Amino acid sequence: MFLLRKYKTAIFIVTLLVIAVIMFSYNLKYGADGSFFGKVVLEAVAPAQKVLSASVTSVKDDWLRYVLLVGIEEENKNLKNKINEFKATLILYQEGYLEAQRLRKLLSLTDDYHYHFVSARVIGREQAALSKTILINKGTTHGLKTGMPVIAPPGLIGRLVDVSWHASKVLLFIDENSNVDAIVQRTRMQGIISGAGPRGLILKYISKTQDVKEGDVIVSSGMGGVFPKGMLIGQVSHVDRQDASLFLKINVAPFVDFSKLEEILILASDEDKIK
Amino acid sequence: MFYYLSLPFLSILLVILQSTITDVFFSGRLVFELSLIVIIYAGFRLDLIRGSILAFILGFVFDCVAGSVPGLFTFIYVVIFLCSFFASGRLATEKIYVIALFSFFCAFLKELMVILFYYSAFKFDVLINMYFVFLPQALIVGLFAPVFFYLMRRVEVSLYEKAV
Repeated sequence: MFLLRKYKTAIFIVTLLVIAVIMFSYNLKYGADGSFFGKVVLEAVAPAQKVLSASVTSVKDDWLRYVLLVGIEEENKNLKNKINEFKATLILYQEGYLEAQRLRKLLSLTDDYHYHFVSARVIGREQAALSKTILINKGTTHGLKTGMPVIAPPGLIGRLVDVSWHASKVLLFIDENSNVDAIVQRTRMQGIISGAGPRGLILKYISKTQDVKEGDVIVSSGMGGVFPKGMLIGQVSHVDRQDASLFLKINVAPFVDFSKLEEILILASDEDKIK
Repeated sequence: MFYYLSLPFLSILLVILQSTITDVFFSGRLVFELSLIVIIYAGFRLDLIRGSILAFILGFVFDCVAGSVPGLFTFIYVVIFLCSFFASGRLATEKIYVIALFSFFCAFLKELMVILFYYSAFKFDVLINMYFVFLPQALIVGLFAPVFFYLMRRVEVSLYEKAV
């Protein structure tokens, strides 16, 4: 009893450290599924973050609008030219799409899963060392669940890792903790897309004998059942063959600018309709 | 009692403020770790119990809002608080260069712990981020810490004067 009283501060601090170690060991082993206290914190953060983000964004937008007016005419001309180029490409793609639809019908191929979109607004961008997450303003009351894929047109951006009642946390692909099964669209070579923080994404486990070029498009493979097949992830920006390892070192630039996300879509699976 | 009750709310506000500043000034490339500076300041100014509870709650809130492995920053923040608490007795904590250097050291220590954790848990080779992310972040903490300490001292003095 005397010892307990003498060392009560030390015991208290050791207890705090042990609780923290137990917390992250548990989350490492069983996955971060969101504790009750975690959900409460997310719920409390969401409205305050929403108000602060909205006011900061409006000031930022006004300033950017003013700055962007300089040189807008030149940019407008370039964009019009680009629109014409894209229109021509779009017609080609429409033809291809219709053909694919006909062939799909002929082969009787159907999707394994049915999804419906839930749109949400980004209310906060949370950055810690090596961790890249965003907060959105929808939660379980809107039908969201942990693990659901998140997209920001034109491609996938991450998945839900923590869902409270009215807010959720999205783990972005650029987070070092994120790994997604992916394929190179041109060669159908399969690899793993891992987050590399500010350096974007890295495509791993592609053998050196494989043909991968800069500009190749990377799409989700559909393996694992979390992300639907064929959704855009990024484009190969650099291929390093000099490294001594067995595999290529491939840098991938995401299609989406993660620092400018405002609205996103969540692919909520309609479990009743799964065939 | 009021101190302990207000801690969760103040921690939430601090984390929100930190993420907003980071978003506005660094566009997500670097993190402005205001919460870490607060922990170092707490190590210099608060007693062990109050300070460690502050570090624990702030770390937990930071984990819930921004961390991808809940519990990691809770642990790291308590360790950083203990480091600054025990160092405060041996350092001239009123000198600007001591504050800057010690804050840089703490920020670097924090990043090292994160690297070690990611390496041992996931076998991620995150050392490449050392030059582009961790060192600049530690420098930002080291540069801004004296400003924060100065502002907090002014607040403390004005509060003391009002009380007298």
